[in-house]
Amino acid sequence: MKGNTGKIIEVNLSSADIAITDVPEEYYLKYTGGSGLAAKIFWERADFTADPLSPEAMLIFMNGPFAGLKMSGTSRNSVAGRSPLTGLYGDSSCGGFFAPELRYAGYDGILITGRADTPVMLLIEDDAVSLADAAGYWGKGVIEVTGSIKEKYGDKYRTLVIGPAGESLVSFANIMHESHHAFGRAGFGAVMGSKNLKAIVTKASGKDMDLADEQKYEELRKAINPRIKNALMSEVLREYGTSGALEGHVYNGDVPIKNWTSNFSEEMAEALTGSTLAENYATGSSTCAYCSIACKKNVEVKDGPFAVPKGAGPEYETIVAFGCLMDSKDLAAACKAGRLCNDFGMDTISAGATIAWAMEAFECGDLTVADTGGVVLEWADMDTVVHTVLPAIARREGKIGKLLSRGSFSAAKKTGGNSLQYTAHSKGLEVPMHDPRGGGHGKALAYAVSPRGGCHVSNTMHFIESGACYYPEIGFDYDLEPMTEKDKAEVAVVAFELGNIENSACFCQFADRQLTIPDWVGLFNAVAGYGWDAQDMLKAGRRAFYLKRLLNYRYGATADDDSLTPRMLEPARDGEPEGIVMNFDAMKEKFYSLIGFDTIRGIPERDVLCQYDMHEEADIVW
Amino acid sequence: MSEYYRDTAHLYEIYDYFLKRVLTDEKIGQKMMKAGIIIKFIYTDPDAEIVIDLKNPPKDAGLYGSYYLGPCDLKEDVWSKQSADHSHRFWHGIENPIAAVAKGKVTQGGKVTAMLKLLPVVKPAFRLFPVILEEMGYDNLIVKK
Repeated sequence: MKGNTGKIIEVNLSSADIAITDVPEEYYLKYTGGSGLAAKIFWERADFTADPLSPEAMLIFMNGPFAGLKMSGTSRNSVAGRSPLTGLYGDSSCGGFFAPELRYAGYDGILITGRADTPVMLLIEDDAVSLADAAGYWGKGVIEVTGSIKEKYGDKYRTLVIGPAGESLVSFANIMHESHHAFGRAGFGAVMGSKNLKAIVTKASGKDMDLADEQKYEELRKAINPRIKNALMSEVLREYGTSGALEGHVYNGDVPIKNWTSNFSEEMAEALTGSTLAENYATGSSTCAYCSIACKKNVEVKDGPFAVPKGAGPEYETIVAFGCLMDSKDLAAACKAGRLCNDFGMDTISAGATIAWAMEAFECGDLTVADTGGVVLEWADMDTVVHTVLPAIARREGKIGKLLSRGSFSAAKKTGGNSLQYTAHSKGLEVPMHDPRGGGHGKALAYAVSPRGGCHVSNTMHFIESGACYYPEIGFDYDLEPMTEKDKAEVAVVAFELGNIENSACFCQFADRQLTIPDWVGLFNAVAGYGWDAQDMLKAGRRAFYLKRLLNYRYGATADDDSLTPRMLEPARDGEPEGIVMNFDAMKEKFYSLIGFDTIRGIPERDVLCQYDMHEEADIVW
Repeated sequence: MSEYYRDTAHLYEIYDYFLKRVLTDEKIGQKMMKAGIIIKFIYTDPDAEIVIDLKNPPKDAGLYGSYYLGPCDLKEDVWSKQSADHSHRFWHGIENPIAAVAKGKVTQGGKVTAMLKLLPVVKPAFRLFPVILEEMGYDNLIVKK
């Protein structure tokens, strides 16, 4: 096998058995790697009756074929399993340095089942794979534990660590890499916590890779790397961080404000945008392995109630979730909230969205101090958010901690009243900080049909609709009007094919915007020898999407679950999209028709599955 | 062959009127001035150059910046090149600037990030452009969405 190693580490934490196993080559050719390959392995191996937090639950980390290449954007990998937040199949990806290190150590992935009797960490050093005692780390924050591991083993040991939120089984606990890159979504930190697995650490002795066509790869690398480095998007990200376009997004109506009740605030746009972060708090930038974009801003808030020592700063999603969404213009508070969430090991999107929902619930009277244990929640009260609510959620302490630690959908169901109406989620996953009413109606469709729930990175709709990418090589050259449904179903089909390719390749969405379709195909062939043409590649992307839909069907999801909440579909009250009605049902109906979904089950028809060489899968679901 | 402009002089006539209006606008002009940069717009078909100086003190009273129609000695911080027709449609708010860059309709250089910060600031001017065309008697140049 070329590019990929063809090997994964299998760990049963209950028995402490560790084995190195081979992955059939056919799986790679059909599902690429990364999130697609993880879905295939999960499909073949998982116990579908297992609770996400039970010992039987399976947790899979999976590299893509490009891990370890010296190319911008290729250092991500995926985690997958049954999400404790949604109860459905989910996955999440993370950049940084773990994926290359795992590849250099000789593995494409890690498959974990069981539950250790006491806290452990998995240590991977080339062929030596072992479990080590981690009791001393239990109860401690991500930043401290990451520092301790590096102190003990060495700075080049790459770490995945959960925080108190994962240990406490918070439904949106995440897995942190190097204490500031996150497998953010869907709650896999809680799955690690349920297994008493505090950390995974890896270090390889070499950096060898065996590619299918070194020369061709080198040609591609030399052409693609400068293009990524010099792209306009890269320049913005490098200078201002991922919130560089926040101000523009606010003017487009793309940014949800005050729990999705407003789409415009000029003051908020100025106060929270990336240039303000760069001017007031940034101390420098950091990057993922081999990436020239360097989109991450380091920050320091020197004094005040939200003082933050030098370190990783908040990303766009964090700034909106702990700024705009809570009606706060306090950028220092967003810096502090982001750092705390990293240390607790919690997804900032779900945490911020759940707290913003609770603020509105409190304002409406659906939540009272009797429900929160005396905590008063008010818009923009970031002192309470930072010093009371976040710590309570992370350790599931008190009434408010227990209520909000399950996420907004679960909290609203428990709270009752009218509170489900003003949640913003799909399939139980809080949607990210882009409002489709202003940002683009296609994004509403994409949120709704994304397998893991409300998500803008499972597909490329967000970038396509904004105009950042187009693919004339495959006849894909739309001029899209964001705030209409025109052409959005057609675009969504390609957006999910390409989204599944990039998530299976584990390529960063910021970097791979600069890749043409021939670049993609060339890379797969030069690195992994897949022998694809463009249609083969798109077919693999479509197949991975289909498989994730089938996985969710086996967990009970149907077409009815491809929905958004009333709050997200009501016409915007102000800003650019004010009063515009979204024709969501028409987009969904057309998409179902184009992608070949059964309108009740929400999965591909049998003959469609067979067209994609998924006969065995079809036999199981039909 | 330009769809909207007879020649370079015609383009300068319209942008002279438009930029004066924008740079005297209390809200738009003030915010533009904060950018503190010199921008050169290079147009093709018809060929033209316009430099907007938001860095130095305005040369004319009542304006929040200066502009120069045609080549000038000021060294720009950032430049942007596009067809005159594309610019005409941009100022109507019907050209997506991100898509235009992605598709190569607009090329840029220098401190591009500083210029991008101006995008939300100049958005209100999209409503102004058809208004000034009408005031100038160029109703026929207003692009219908």
